[in-house]
Amino acid sequence: MSALELRQLARRVGGRPLLHGLDLAVAAGECVALLGPSGCGKTTTLRLVAGLDAPEEGSRILLDGRDITHEPPGRRRVAMVFQSYALYPHLSVFGNLALGLRVRGVAPRERERRIAGVLELLQLADLRERRPAQLSGGQRQRLALARALLRQPALMLLDEPMSNLDAQLREELRPELRRLLCGGEAPVLYVTHDQQEAIGLADRLAVLEGGRLQQLGTARELYESPANRFVATFLGRPALNLLPPQGGRQLGLRPEHLRPVAEAGLAARILRREWMGAQQLLWLESERGPLRMLLGAESPATESLRVGWERRHELWFDGGTGERLPPPDSPVMEALC
Amino acid sequence: MIRALALLWSLGPLLWQLLTSLRPPDALVGASSALPGAAGMGGWTLANYRLLLMADPPFWRYLLNSSVVGLAATALTLVLALPCAYGLQRLRGGLRWATLTALLAASLFPTVLLFLALLEWARRLGLANHLLALALPYAALSLPLAILLLRAALADLPPELEDAAQLEGLGPLQRLRFVLLPLLGPAIGSTAILVFLFSWNEYPIALTWISREPLLTLPTAIARLGSSSVFTVPYGAYAAATVLGSLPLVVLLLLFQRAIVSGLTQAAVKG
Repeated sequence: MSALELRQLARRVGGRPLLHGLDLAVAAGECVALLGPSGCGKTTTLRLVAGLDAPEEGSRILLDGRDITHEPPGRRRVAMVFQSYALYPHLSVFGNLALGLRVRGVAPRERERRIAGVLELLQLADLRERRPAQLSGGQRQRLALARALLRQPALMLLDEPMSNLDAQLREELRPELRRLLCGGEAPVLYVTHDQQEAIGLADRLAVLEGGRLQQLGTARELYESPANRFVATFLGRPALNLLPPQGGRQLGLRPEHLRPVAEAGLAARILRREWMGAQQLLWLESERGPLRMLLGAESPATESLRVGWERRHELWFDGGTGERLPPPDSPVMEALC
Repeated sequence: MIRALALLWSLGPLLWQLLTSLRPPDALVGASSALPGAAGMGGWTLANYRLLLMADPPFWRYLLNSSVVGLAATALTLVLALPCAYGLQRLRGGLRWATLTALLAASLFPTVLLFLALLEWARRLGLANHLLALALPYAALSLPLAILLLRAALADLPPELEDAAQLEGLGPLQRLRFVLLPLLGPAIGSTAILVFLFSWNEYPIALTWISREPLLTLPTAIARLGSSSVFTVPYGAYAAATVLGSLPLVVLLLLFQRAIVSGLTQAAVKG
């Protein structure tokens, strides 16, 4: 049974729809990342689940089988880490953690014990008297996490918790975050626009765009069989090459699936080389428009070449709607050339 | 140099007042009156103060009256303005804009134009000659500005703070008590001082609402000092009364100054 279930979750603000009937089920202990560009509805979803905004009529939110759609946020046993951390600036680290426990009626001795435990877990014990302003970005993030963990939530929500940290710190914190979040029984909804972060942390990814769920699945499923053009372009770096549509169909090719061939394929000219360590990214101008191709760093430096690919790597889309289509019966490489 | 000039500019009049209050009446209207520093004539005296404090009712009575009215008006204003500011901040769209504009217009309205209407109300509701009743119009007149100030302060707080508190199980009053009030401290302090100052200095309403001698507030009491004679102006008594009337304000500001400044710098740091 799923621990969290969203049924036809929708929200409109001033007649403008932000979210169209989202259906999503998250199992106990599972971490699902809501992934998408800004304005796609991922933060909206989180705020609806937390109870901070009201959903449209007909939406249902079930947590451990209980309907919490109309429950006030304080009673949902849901914890949230905000993008801005939302720490109380006038309280010390200890005070930030103690306030919630205090109003929920936890006895002082028990309070002290639990706070000490979570401070230890997140390596904040030496900082307990500091104010948030006196903490570094990473420490603030850990404090926000500590406060959420202390809630002992039945559901954990995180809204871009790492977007205020620099890239290196983000990478360092990822395994730690995974260890803290994904060990327990509580399901986790993790909002991010960073696919690397989502892939590194989550069990499954939910890709959102325009307030609609585009696809739900593991990172590998999404990469190998994207449901539509948006998911295919959004996932994978460098991004998918899209050839111009022909006869209502459009071919997508990942840069890592392209390779130089002796004959057949597309004739192309190298415009620019971008060195990426073990690999190099080639910007090409082909007879069918611009292409990006990922190659080993040692590949020969010919100015012009022919670009080929394997048939099984072709991703076909409807030229208009962008829906995924089955591959055509006859091989196209020849037809293109 | 510029600092010294600025200091002289702002403290000079106060100093003049203080010196005047310590001079005997003859010295003030004498030939050397233009130079209060020239103490050769008449010397120094506490007679002006003695006169004020020995009078019936004694002068401290008016100080007390003004303090009572001021405190009541300030408390009432804050208690009403805080929920209004909070509600306004939560309001979205055109209604908020319209309300803010209306409040701004109301706070710019010349209050003197209102005092006849207010007097009529006082008579009809039997509010005349009640000290605490005087706090009602003061609070009413201070409300627009107080709401605007507090709303601006609320707008500066990140909205996620309240969301986070809500998720932790804090009810509306707990959020106010544990999160909003501590962070609004400086704004509440400066708003309180403004309201208190207005009430402390207000003249026309106090003049028309209060006629019984023991209930007068400072501005009206000071004005009455000179009414005993049309031909002499009791400069010394005026000065002494002004000094006594300013003292509580100076003390108040000195007390609050540190708290306000420290609170301001604290709130300025993003959480």
